[in-house]
Amino acid sequence: MSSSKPLPNSYSATILPPANKAFVPRDYSHGTELRFSTELPAKLQGRIPEEVFTAVIGNINQLLIAAETGSASVYLESCFACLTGYLAYLCMETQYEKCLRSVSRLVEEYNRTVFGPRNLSMIDPSERGLRVIEIVLLRP
Amino acid sequence: MPKRWEVYPGKSQVLFSGRCISAKNLSVFYLTLALIVISSCLFLAFDCRLLAVTLSPSVPVLAAVQFIFVLCCLLRTTFSDPGIIPRGTPDEAAWIESQLEGPQVDRDGNYRPPVRLKDVQISGRVFKLKYCFTCKLWRPPRASHCSTCDNCVDRFDHHCPWVGNCVGRRNYRYFYLFLISLSVYCLYVMVFGIVNLVLLAFFSIWSVVGLGGFHTMLICRETSTNEDIKGSFNQRRHPDLINPFDQGNGLANCCYVLFGPVTPSLLNFREDEIGLGSSISLVTNNGRNGTASAAAASTAVTATPAVRYSNLTRNNNDATSNSVGHVNNSVQVISESLPAQLPGDGNDVIVKNGNGTPADGVISGGTDTVGAQNSNTQSASSVHCIV
Repeated sequence: MSSSKPLPNSYSATILPPANKAFVPRDYSHGTELRFSTELPAKLQGRIPEEVFTAVIGNINQLLIAAETGSASVYLESCFACLTGYLAYLCMETQYEKCLRSVSRLVEEYNRTVFGPRNLSMIDPSERGLRVIEIVLLRP
Repeated sequence: MPKRWEVYPGKSQVLFSGRCISAKNLSVFYLTLALIVISSCLFLAFDCRLLAVTLSPSVPVLAAVQFIFVLCCLLRTTFSDPGIIPRGTPDEAAWIESQLEGPQVDRDGNYRPPVRLKDVQISGRVFKLKYCFTCKLWRPPRASHCSTCDNCVDRFDHHCPWVGNCVGRRNYRYFYLFLISLSVYCLYVMVFGIVNLVLLAFFSIWSVVGLGGFHTMLICRETSTNEDIKGSFNQRRHPDLINPFDQGNGLANCCYVLFGPVTPSLLNFREDEIGLGSSISLVTNNGRNGTASAAAASTAVTATPAVRYSNLTRNNNDATSNSVGHVNNSVQVISESLPAQLPGDGNDVIVKNGNGTPADGVISGGTDTVGAQNSNTQSASSVHCIV
């Protein structure tokens, strides 16, 4: 970026993206459903085979999409909660929360089996507000 | 190590150590809450007392259940996270912003802001995704940034001041159920408020309206309640009897009764008593004249069941000027209806004072004894037959 005029304060050309982090963004091509892009980030090229990466992200996507899918049990759970004036939500865990917990467990598993041996660490997307999947390069 | 709620950067208000979140300004929410609570309390305290007894105890119970449900929905809407998208970490922000075309200055020296839109195809339709510089994230489709709360909210509906929070993906159903349940509850309270009013006024309405209607009918028929009860002019009981006072036409009867001549009072209570004349007390059986006359009284009574004076005193003037004539008339009437033998001397009528002692004079024939004035303060003790 070359400019002869000073830049506005809200932008700083000197902030560089972190060298040791790769981000997998959300994929909105199917709408608002919870899905991450299966495209291998540039920083991970050579660190992990593409098909492994695609499979990992695909599995995570499956769990997340299931969290947002309405099923008979989900509807029953919601109706029951409604009848109790939503006081039932104080005691029970929703389907969505259960799915997110299973995603956390899966990420831990992948960190142990897939990413750990490759000196990578995947951060649970829930920690990042389901915006991105962050993958930390532990060793350059 | 601070908790995440302690370092929350937005303008929302975090309550109960991160368990609740709402807008900063809750004043309109308090108004909403007050309106609902106060009107419910008034309804339950006052209207339900009669309704529970008259209709069913389920009326206040249902009202209470609805009230609790409305409150639950309202509180959930207000104090739950509407679907705030947490802000991007600085690393993320740096990564995204490095990919954006930064601010450019073109040949003419015009400043072009950085491009922060990217196109996304959703089911064949192109959506433009915006990059939110405040929250450092690509806003998902249907998300929007709320300036009041300074957050990006997923599936942003609107910021509702009445509820004191944004309405977004997570609390939209509570908001909607709050609206619906409150509508139903309002209708319920309104209906039972009206029922309560009708019940309270029911008896009065029907009594007064009924009585009014009954008397309207009597007026039209030119009949009194007494006659109606006795059935004096009842066609069914005495078919040959007609009501001689009926003017033939209901409207004419109404006009006469309601708008006919007004008779003045004949009592003339405000006039001096002196014009009233001597109190002619017939010895009757009212017992006040002493036992001596009781026996005599009884015969008098049986003989003269009804004595009519014709205008004993029309007014004072008449009494003093025409008293003789009047008394004569009266006496004649008396003498006509009295038995031949009367107690006392001959056919004399003993005029007694109000207190039972004989008056100075005696009425016999045309004797003027009106002059014998009595202090008639004890008129109550003597019997005056006035029709």
